[in-house]
Amino acid sequence: MKKKTPDFTVLNHTADLGIRAHGTDLRDLFENTARAMLQTMVRIRPGGKAATIRLSLDGQDLADLMVRWLGEILYLIAGEDKVVLDVEIDSITPSHLRASVEYVPFDPELHEIQCEIKAVTYHQIDVSRKNGLWQATVVFDL
Amino acid sequence: MDMMDITLEKLDNYRWCIPRKGAMRVPGLIFSNPELIPSLKQDQSLKQVANVATLPGIIGHSLGMPDIHWGYGFPIGGVAAFDLDEGVISPGGVGYDINCGCRLMTTRLRADEIRPLIKDLVSALFKNIPCGVGSTGRIHLSKNDETKVAVQGAVWAVKNGYGDPEDLERTEDAGTMEGADPSVLSERAIKRGKDQLGTLGSGNHFLEVQVVDQVYDTGKAQAFGLWEGQITVFIHSGSRGFGYQICDDFLKEISAHMSGEDITLPDRQLACARIKSDLGRRYLAAMACAANYAWANRQILMHWVRETFLETLSVRPAELDMKLLYDVCHNIAKIESHTVCGERIQVCVHRKGATRSLPAGHKLLPEIYRDVGQPVLIPGDMGTYSYVLAGSEGAMIHSFGSTCHGAGRLLSRSQATKKAKGRFIENELKARGIFVRSRGKKTLKEEISEAYKDVSQVVEAVHGSGLACRVARLRPLGVIKG
Repeated sequence: MKKKTPDFTVLNHTADLGIRAHGTDLRDLFENTARAMLQTMVRIRPGGKAATIRLSLDGQDLADLMVRWLGEILYLIAGEDKVVLDVEIDSITPSHLRASVEYVPFDPELHEIQCEIKAVTYHQIDVSRKNGLWQATVVFDL
Repeated sequence: MDMMDITLEKLDNYRWCIPRKGAMRVPGLIFSNPELIPSLKQDQSLKQVANVATLPGIIGHSLGMPDIHWGYGFPIGGVAAFDLDEGVISPGGVGYDINCGCRLMTTRLRADEIRPLIKDLVSALFKNIPCGVGSTGRIHLSKNDETKVAVQGAVWAVKNGYGDPEDLERTEDAGTMEGADPSVLSERAIKRGKDQLGTLGSGNHFLEVQVVDQVYDTGKAQAFGLWEGQITVFIHSGSRGFGYQICDDFLKEISAHMSGEDITLPDRQLACARIKSDLGRRYLAAMACAANYAWANRQILMHWVRETFLETLSVRPAELDMKLLYDVCHNIAKIESHTVCGERIQVCVHRKGATRSLPAGHKLLPEIYRDVGQPVLIPGDMGTYSYVLAGSEGAMIHSFGSTCHGAGRLLSRSQATKKAKGRFIENELKARGIFVRSRGKKTLKEEISEAYKDVSQVVEAVHGSGLACRVARLRPLGVIKG
């Protein structure tokens, strides 16, 4: 996978962490938002045996799909000790996506959790098109 | 509803009303004081109180406690009670960290004895109490044992040698919530709970060695076993990844279910199910599992604190005499009896960053506190005081037996980190006589005192509004954070 630097900003929220990410299309947006979450969460040094997992997710709508998508990546890290290196959306519609997720097993010598994101919330979740760009606003529970 | 539409009408120096408007089914009622009110208008917490007021079956008022601040869905410091037949249960109204709560322990030790040893004591606690981001501990549960923890709560911990049976009497619900059903849990929740029992966590979770700095009510303090100059220990922790996964699982299921319900939500995080529906029942059964896990967690942490004190200070158990004063939860939903319009009915009370507050004489109180009222524990931030209060009748009258849970955040973590840039927080605390150990590099900056409301004002508002009454003030001497 070709890792890109995500385009996002951090929003202020007293309880949690909010981010606003952008993309040229839905594929770009979902990849970007995931990378923004990962960049916020984990500092990664090279190393470890990489593997790829394929995800297939359904959602009620784009916002729900985004919450489920990010939640799935979060679970891989928090629940399965798989440090996600990068993501690639293989296909996406407003209610379904397929993706490939590259990961390495968690290694405390290589991986530092900088910010413990505990959950992806539905609070103020927004996935919409503004000024020709797709935009996602997500609030995480810390 | 826009923030511009939110009006606050002052009822008295401690209560403000948000009049019913638009989709609100009931008015909002905010407990605060004139010093705290301006900060409420800086975030969206009042809008969230109004949003909660739109939920079906809500009774009385949508309530905001004095530490109220912007959460997700429900405000943090939000309380709402729902009719069992018409009303809803909302996982967001409980929170991700189900039964995040705290416990306070008393000792026979004096601060002047301990002060020379505080660095050693805190370092030993830091070594012995697993804490930090995603921390796993010394306990690795089999699926069978995890099921027992989910059903029995703190009872499981005591049965397995962590503490004494008398600890259970001094825990809310005796450390076990009825109705837990592990069969409704996902494999993911089970997996996340396997290795995290007996861990403190991170963020605003902490363990603090304190001194009783001031006693306000000598009679109640005596009943609670508190005296000036005494060493106490405060633990703040919850249900860890187990509770988070349970909330996450049910939020997703309930959100998907919303399209079939005739309920319009102003915020998707308020996703809810009818209390008496199958989905509502399953969430309550799962929530009880997480609540029990958290009580077992705090019971185990307390046991290790006792062991650490005995070993580090080389004292005998009778000299230490570390007793649990009380354990309260502050993220929970409970089926309780309350008087509404003169009639005694059962309601489902959601407390999201709010603490139960029962007055003297209440049947749910343990015998030892029945004449005094329930101990209410309000932790401050790591640099300031914590408080012990006693539940009052005012809470039963005005807030479904509820009060606040802490100081309430003013700044986001990134704002706090910015404010703390270039500062050595550890040294600042040391200069004030507080020795701190922290695993996370950013934690101390995120948790600076300026990030929180003035806890003494919050407690003043609690006391002034009659939700609970001040008993004692505790000052930190040593803190460990994840």
